[in-house]
Amino acid sequence: MIEVHSLVKRFGALAAVDGLTFSVARNEVLGFLGPNGAGKTTTMRILTGALPATEGRVRVAGLDVFDQPMQVKRKVGYLPEVPPLYEELDVLAYLGFVARLKSLPGRRVKSEVARVVETCGLREVRGRLIANLSKGFRQRVGLAQALLGDPEVLILDEPTIGLDPNQIAEIRGLIRRLAENHTVILSTHILPEVIQVCQRVLIVHRGRLVADDRLENLTSESRSLEQTFHDLTQE
Amino acid sequence: MRPIIAILRKELRVYFTTPVAYAAFTVFSIVTSFLFLRNLVGFQRQIDINTQLRPHLLQFMNFTDQVLSQLTFQAAVVLVFVVPFVTMRLVAEERRARTFELLMTNPVSPWHIAWGKYLATLVVLAVMLSLTLLYPLLVGLVAQVGGVAWETVGTGLLGLFLLGAAFTALGLFVSALTASPVVAAIITWCVLFLLWVVGWAATENPGATGDVLRALSAIEHIRSFASGALDSRDLVYYLSLCAFGLFMTQRALEAQRWR
Repeated sequence: MIEVHSLVKRFGALAAVDGLTFSVARNEVLGFLGPNGAGKTTTMRILTGALPATEGRVRVAGLDVFDQPMQVKRKVGYLPEVPPLYEELDVLAYLGFVARLKSLPGRRVKSEVARVVETCGLREVRGRLIANLSKGFRQRVGLAQALLGDPEVLILDEPTIGLDPNQIAEIRGLIRRLAENHTVILSTHILPEVIQVCQRVLIVHRGRLVADDRLENLTSESRSLEQTFHDLTQE
Repeated sequence: MRPIIAILRKELRVYFTTPVAYAAFTVFSIVTSFLFLRNLVGFQRQIDINTQLRPHLLQFMNFTDQVLSQLTFQAAVVLVFVVPFVTMRLVAEERRARTFELLMTNPVSPWHIAWGKYLATLVVLAVMLSLTLLYPLLVGLVAQVGGVAWETVGTGLLGLFLLGAAFTALGLFVSALTASPVVAAIITWCVLFLLWVVGWAATENPGATGDVLRALSAIEHIRSFASGALDSRDLVYYLSLCAFGLFMTQRALEAQRWR
């Protein structure tokens, strides 16, 4: 579903991503780990077509991100680390705007908005201004936005950051349900979340891949995922 | 096409759910109504003087030319101050609030963004300018002889709209260069101010220099419209500013992607 080959992204002299190669199979849930500044967000932004790479090839659903960015963007739902919300709009107006931005036909706009409002549990706040929502609801509106149009690929950058334990459990449950028929890349710092949700784990450090394996191979009776992470990303 | 309409609708919703549009309408109406009253009082005084001293001049006095044309000219200057306030947050606010990411990761091109935002602001501009119709309407109601030359009112409004559209395009471009709406407003205001005062310099410099400066001044080009004439040179001037602003906005938005 996603193929990344020798991906490099330089910002001036700094190589944020330095020769990443990996692939993600259809309906796989990939945990994308690494310390802050390892190049995770940069990689995800390149996958969504928002940021052009310096070198390398990226294909999403068989389409080249650099040659056909518009088609790729239609197939990818993206939740950035800071949910991109317009505080001046209410939840329904915001989701309607994003649905139209994705060029969904008029009739589908309404049904899709209704669907994601249900999926993300937003019914009670649908008429409220986003500026007045709690952090948990804002995060859910951000997730709802990524689900509009039912994209095949979901890229979620720290979707549970700043949520309380109940909300975290809800979002994780939601991601697990979505994983049944979506390809998901999940970036997070919460390692138990990876264990609960992901089948495969990718660890990056300083823009390079330091681990790419099934979860069970990175952990064992005597080694936790924490220790593996620690060992691989220590100086 | 759909993304343009989506952005247009969203921008209009933001304009009219936040105080931005209403504040602009209020400031514009207060200032233009003050200027209208001043023009009217001046006109009245001149009638009084002419009635007593130079009655033969009365037949040359004309309400449209001396009050409304004058007002068109003054309203153009008011736009120098109001437009930066309306355009400042168009792109800068998206970058400040990190919503720009949403536009970048959805199937939307820089042209869609530029046109959607531009057209929404033109709607706000059109509503704002239509408020000035109140003055000739009021006078038309009470006028007993002569009254209002509506063609001149029409060309005046068209001129103001074109001038406003040109200012909006420049404001949109400046807004696309920064992540701070306040900085965008200040820079836009400086640019528009220069386009205005270059006309002052024109009157002080006779000859070719003056002609060039006059051709550059945004306010000088409203003269033909204000007096009820349509001059293709002035049309071309405003439309080229619009095209320049939109093109540069598209370039600036495209450049964002590479950072």
